Amino acid sequence: MKVAVVGGSGYVGGELLRLLLGHPEVTIEQVTSDRHVGAPVGRVHPNLRKATSLAFSPRASLRAADVTFLATPHGGSAPIVPELLASGGVVIDLSADHRLKDPSHYPRYYRQEHPHPELLEEAVYGLPERHRERLRTARLIAVPGCIATAAILALAPVAAAGTGPGRRAVVDAKSGSSASGRDAGPAGQHAERSGAMRAYAPAGHRHAAEIEQETGIGVALSCHAVEAVRGVLATVHLLDGDPPAERELWKIYRAAYAGEPFVRLVHGSDGIHREPEPKILAGTNFCDLGFASDPAHGRTVLLGALDNLGKGAAGAAVQCLNVRAGLPETTGLGFLGLHPV
Amino acid sequence: MTECPVCAADVESKDKIAGEVFPCVDCGTELEVRALEPFAVEPAPKEAEDWGE
Repeated sequence: MKVAVVGGSGYVGGELLRLLLGHPEVTIEQVTSDRHVGAPVGRVHPNLRKATSLAFSPRASLRAADVTFLATPHGGSAPIVPELLASGGVVIDLSADHRLKDPSHYPRYYRQEHPHPELLEEAVYGLPERHRERLRTARLIAVPGCIATAAILALAPVAAAGTGPGRRAVVDAKSGSSASGRDAGPAGQHAERSGAMRAYAPAGHRHAAEIEQETGIGVALSCHAVEAVRGVLATVHLLDGDPPAERELWKIYRAAYAGEPFVRLVHGSDGIHREPEPKILAGTNFCDLGFASDPAHGRTVLLGALDNLGKGAAGAAVQCLNVRAGLPETTGLGFLGLHPV
Repeated sequence: MTECPVCAADVESKDKIAGEVFPCVDCGTELEVRALEPFAVEPAPKEAEDWGE
């Protein structure tokens, strides 16, 4: 399978290249970056030294491939997708440009009109745990946001089971610095970021729209920057109603994710790793889920942890590729993580 | 076969003996075999702060 990567110089692009270079069914034909034209991939992504002889080419030279990955900034994918689809290939978009079904959400959350709203209905949300069958034949796949993935996988089973205590949730998310990309600006500088425990979006974060779209539950999302390079931890609070007992929560989550290769239930009775923690998930495609019942406060607590560059971006994209190509879903995604790390 | 009383995971009776303590494979709770026929388990007593004093 011949693939191309557009926008391969960012953190998501680098992680995607790392995974694709280890994928036994993939040949990377081309990787583009207008900023690094001519530079060997290993010069921009030092972990990929000697792993490939590829060099970055300009986007204008992009050739048709069986699958084209778009690791572009938000707003950078939508203008080029129609032409790529016309070439007959599959497009896997890691930007936010095709995640939301309602065109009116783009000016609200991304401050611009969508240039091709006719493609939004066709685009399949790239979460195999929820849309596997549609992904098998999709032409255009929209890889979810990292915080959205953690929150959706944590919240959806309770929402779908109908045993949740209400239709509103508060999501408190912590994320590592790589989530803001390679061009994070002043907020990403060491002096500003090191030691940070900063609420960067107490309200109004754009991923709330994805979570609401996928779960049908009203979501109040607050996001925080913490002292980590990789990782997202989403803590979801369902506050209005009678929480299911923990035995019931176990049953709900087991039923929802039985057979899922990348979702693990983590709610131990003791030990330091009894709840999901992103630290041990770096470089993996896992999303670890936990939960707790708090009947004294009418609260159900749901936890989702992942690597924002893994299951939160590039890993999810490769998982979608595997589904679309009819390959075992774990192909090229077998890394189990490091401990200690 | 029975269920973990904490998380409802399947608990196999094979090769278990009365009084045996073992962890649930899902939630990690230490379970104690209270009976073999029928097979029954309960969370094992945890060591208290003043255990043995």
